[in-house]
Amino acid sequence: MLSILQNILLFIVLVLSQVLVLNNIQFLGFINPYIYILFILSLPAKLPRWFVLVLGFCLGFVIDIFSNTLGIHIFATVLVAYLRSFVIQLFTSIDEGNNPIPSFHSFGVGAYIKYVVALVVLHHTALFFIEAFSFSHLGLIPLKILMSSSITILLILGLKSMHRK
Amino acid sequence: MRNLINFFIQYSVLLLFLFMEVVAMGFVVKNQAYQQSVFLSSSNSSIASLYEISNSVVEFFKLKTANETLSEENTALKNQLIRLQNQLTTLKPERKDSLRFQIPPEMEYQFIAAKVINSSTNKLQNYITLNKGLRDGIKVDMGVISDLGVVGIVKTVSDKFAVVIPILNDKIKINCKFTKSHYSGPLQWDGFDYRYANLNDIARHVEFSLGDSLVTSGFTNTFPEGIPVGNIENFDIKESDAYYRIRVKLAVDFRTLSHVKVIDYKNYGEQRYLEKVAEK
Repeated sequence: MLSILQNILLFIVLVLSQVLVLNNIQFLGFINPYIYILFILSLPAKLPRWFVLVLGFCLGFVIDIFSNTLGIHIFATVLVAYLRSFVIQLFTSIDEGNNPIPSFHSFGVGAYIKYVVALVVLHHTALFFIEAFSFSHLGLIPLKILMSSSITILLILGLKSMHRK
Repeated sequence: MRNLINFFIQYSVLLLFLFMEVVAMGFVVKNQAYQQSVFLSSSNSSIASLYEISNSVVEFFKLKTANETLSEENTALKNQLIRLQNQLTTLKPERKDSLRFQIPPEMEYQFIAAKVINSSTNKLQNYITLNKGLRDGIKVDMGVISDLGVVGIVKTVSDKFAVVIPILNDKIKINCKFTKSHYSGPLQWDGFDYRYANLNDIARHVEFSLGDSLVTSGFTNTFPEGIPVGNIENFDIKESDAYYRIRVKLAVDFRTLSHVKVIDYKNYGEQRYLEKVAEK
């Protein structure tokens, strides 16, 4: 029950900080970190996949409405929500009956970093390609993916490492 | 059938995923249409109010820049104001009034606006009463004009009122000249038609034509040079005569006259005094 409340709070805080703060930080003109994806990354590892998909859809939908980019964030977030369980299987070995919340502690530092990097890069790649598909500035995409992903990854890892203490 | 159901159960999550992605792509493709629907965009009122709050916070941090921009704009506007004021000062003799004709700027003329409160046009000696008098600075012998041209000369003044002898009075003659040839002569009303007056003393050799305009000559102290009086309507001359008889259509319509300006010539006294001394 407590964790549900915590997750709702996390959802709200992430959405607000994304649309009110981070969307306004167009660092160097094109670097725009998308930290809201941390919500999907922080869901319990063994949460039913259909439920993760629904949550991903809702999160993307809310971000899209605030950004006036309907569809783009839904697509990227749902993709991450779907592939999340495969990535977890790939990098970690969770014991039967355990349902840990992904973190440095539960996954191990290396595995967690790999997990975050893989999913954030996946998310940003999908996001920027869909965005370019509808807004057409193709030359910038690889640079945007690289820069924005690294900023997002740094932010998420920084937040997570503070949280552990 | 059983296989189909099994298939759906087995791949339900994948199907849900694909369904969601198709919906998302649909949103992207139809983005234009959806942005028009107010509910799903940031013009939605609750989302807009959230943005409004965030804006008020952001604006606070932008105040410094806003201040600088405003002060720059202020300076630019002030400079423009000074420039325009300078232009206005140089143009003042022309712009001082809404007159259609020009008053020579080197002479010190001032205008006192007045309203006609009583007038006649059907007598041999017509008079016009104005609502301004001594306390407004009007003195005897000042010239009176309207936007169209010469009206007359102030005859008597009380504290609050002034009586003007207009051109439509056989007691006064107003000296006027042709704008082309500068020959001058006195204009006098014959008492018949309020639209016309006669110009006398124009010698036989003077050349002019119908429609030529007449202006004040400036030889008297009451009117500055160049104020319109009228146009030549027709003229005739007999074999034995030395002078033309010229009929002039007056510039001012005395029937509809309502607002006039009294000319205050600042140097009137000095000029008059000097002329009197010389005559002795």
